[in-house]
Amino acid sequence: MPRIIVYTLLILGLLLLLPPVIAANARSRPNPNRPINIIQDMDLQAKFLPQTENDLFADKRSQRPAVLGTVARGEAYLDAHLNDGVVDGQWATTLPSQFTLDAKLLLRGQERFNIYCTPCHGYTGVGNGTVNQRAMELVANAEGPVNGTVWVAAKSLHDPTVTIQPVGQIFNSITHGVRNMAGYGSQVPTEDRWAIVAYVRALQLSQNASLSDVPSDKRGGL
Amino acid sequence: MSRFLFPRWTNNLLPFILVTGAIMPLYAVLVVAYGFSPKTIDAGYMPTQPVPYSHATHVGKLGLDCRYCHTTVERTSFAAVPPTQTCMNCHTQIHRESPKLAEVRSSYETGLPIEWVKVHKLPDYSYFNHAAHVNRGVSCVECHGRVDQMEVVYRHSPLAMGWCLECHRDPIDRLRPVSQITNLAWDQRIEMTREEREALATQYHINPSENCSTCHR
Ligand code: HEC
Ligand code: HEC
Ligand code: HEC
Ligand code: HEC
Ligand code: HEC
Ligand code: HEC
Repeated sequence: MPRIIVYTLLILGLLLLLPPVIAANARSRPNPNRPINIIQDMDLQAKFLPQTENDLFADKRSQRPAVLGTVARGEAYLDAHLNDGVVDGQWATTLPSQFTLDAKLLLRGQERFNIYCTPCHGYTGVGNGTVNQRAMELVANAEGPVNGTVWVAAKSLHDPTVTIQPVGQIFNSITHGVRNMAGYGSQVPTEDRWAIVAYVRALQLSQNASLSDVPSDKRGGL
Repeated sequence: MSRFLFPRWTNNLLPFILVTGAIMPLYAVLVVAYGFSPKTIDAGYMPTQPVPYSHATHVGKLGLDCRYCHTTVERTSFAAVPPTQTCMNCHTQIHRESPKLAEVRSSYETGLPIEWVKVHKLPDYSYFNHAAHVNRGVSCVECHGRVDQMEVVYRHSPLAMGWCLECHRDPIDRLRPVSQITNLAWDQRIEMTREEREALATQYHINPSENCSTCHR
């Protein structure tokens, strides 16, 4: 048999190994290239889904921001107590009439507080959250604050200046932020913000509780 | 006139050709099935993002909950990628001069969105709903993998129809209490018994649909 034939066959045989090896490699680690898609079907249709591009607009957003001076249906903020925490020009001292203070509201408030507030204020609200601690470390760095970090410590929610505040004022702080704290109005819906307010109140009470606040049948557990 | 005759050595090739001919179709089928499967082609897509944002730092180390940023997962079909304002809750102060955050700051000043590259994408003819899964006890980790350990997000699952159906046919092992949804380190296969998971399925009335119209509407 001529040499050339033998070698050609050997090389062809080796080439057969190539596709499986390429595939195994592609499978084993992440790849920065867009997946190949030969048969397009109707994968990309002329419709706009949330968070996609629309080249018709200069900012390319398919989800259009509300036009200035317009109000969407159901977003007319006419109830000052519910939406601003204000009653007759004063901070509201009670929950809006839409809510009843029960275990369900407090549990919802606890869950939401743990998502949105604990990073800075900590689980008990004293201000020892992970982000707060890390920010303090960055500021206290030996060679000066890292990347110009500045940080005002997240205030303890048990500080007397906070515990005396009416619920309406705390609601306003969450919605629009206070001084160095950003507002959470865009991240947390109104109902959940009131639930958080109720939970913050419960936390404050829990830190200043006395034995007489415990129902007499539960005192044995202390 | 001379005729072309195969040289005598070609006889030795005959068995070889027969064997190869028998194996080749099998080889082709296996290579196509393995190489063109969504697990090879679609899973593992890891595009370079405009900002070196790390879930490992923000979720793994700082312990932020997914819903702090992806606020809509429990309410709507889609999971919102956070607006620049969310980053600026912290980054107006923390690392406020970092070159890595230059893109975020310029987006904050101009009001134009950061152009994050979409990692997970279903074809437009299919319908998916986050709220339907997240509120029924299917955790992010079942579909997105350990995002809390990823420096850069990549596509963990193939997102193929077969993959969706695999779970819709037998979801029991992949259910957990709704309170643990965003706790990616938690594993219901370890923390709960099969009976407990079955009880959960009855409690949540889990009965995933296999009708075509569920996902193709
Ligand atoms: C990114 C960190 C951060 C997060 C998250 C955060 N806060 Fe704050 N908060 C702060 C800082 C910092 C202050 C102190 C602001 C100052 O004194 O300049 C503060 C102050 C407050 C105050 C005191 C306001 C006053 O009048 O003194 C309240 C009440 C409060 N936060 C509630 C909340 C609630 C409720 C949440 C969850 C929705 C929350 N915060 C989330 C950082 C944060
Ligand atoms: C601090 C804000 C933040 C938190 C907290 C966060 N993410 Fe993200 N996430 C982002 C941003 C910004 C992107 C877009 C950039 C990217 O893909 O890396 C993203 C992208 C993603 C993507 C890919 C989206 C796509 O394009 O397909 C997934 C999946 C994801 N996040 C899951 C999670 C999960 C699960 C958690 C909770 C464990 C979480 N994220 C927590 C900010 C956050
Ligand atoms: C709740 C506070 C918080 C939010 C919200 C947040 N970050 Fe961060 N981020 C931090 C902290 C704290 C660090 C520092 C971590 C460390 O150094 O260990 C950090 C670090 C970073 C870094 C690295 C900076 C450097 O120079 O090393 C980048 C990039 C970054 N974040 C991007 C983002 C983006 C993009 C978003 C919005 C999707 C975001 N962050 C939202 C708290 C936050
Ligand atoms: C049952 C599987 C499943 C679960 C559970 C799930 N996702 Fe997703 N996720 C998907 C699919 C599929 C897509 C692609 C959707 C599309 O292209 O329409 C996606 C897309 C995303 C995106 C990108 C959205 C976009 O428009 O760019 C983010 C962010 C995300 N998921 C976050 C989360 C978070 C956070 C959780 C947990 C609270 C979660 N997902 C739970 C399957 C899932
Ligand atoms: C890890 C398990 C799992 C995976 C993976 C999964 N699903 Fe589901 N899906 C469920 C469960 C559980 C339900 C809730 C069933 C119920 O409500 O009875 C559900 C419900 C749904 C619904 C809502 C049905 C309704 O009645 O509104 C849709 C739509 C859906 N899934 C689409 C998909 C698509 C598309 C994929 C693949 C991209 C997918 N699912 C992947 C577990 C899963
Ligand atoms: C649980 C959700 C789900 C159900 C139920 C479902 N599909 Fe799909 N289907 C998908 C998804 C997701 C894709 C996109 C897969 C991909 O990206 O390759 C898809 C893709 C397809 C495709 C295109 C495949 C291709 O690659 O060209 C066809 C055809 C299809 N489905 C038909 C059906 C039919 C017929 C039924 C009913 C028997 C059905 N599907 C039920 C989720 C579903």
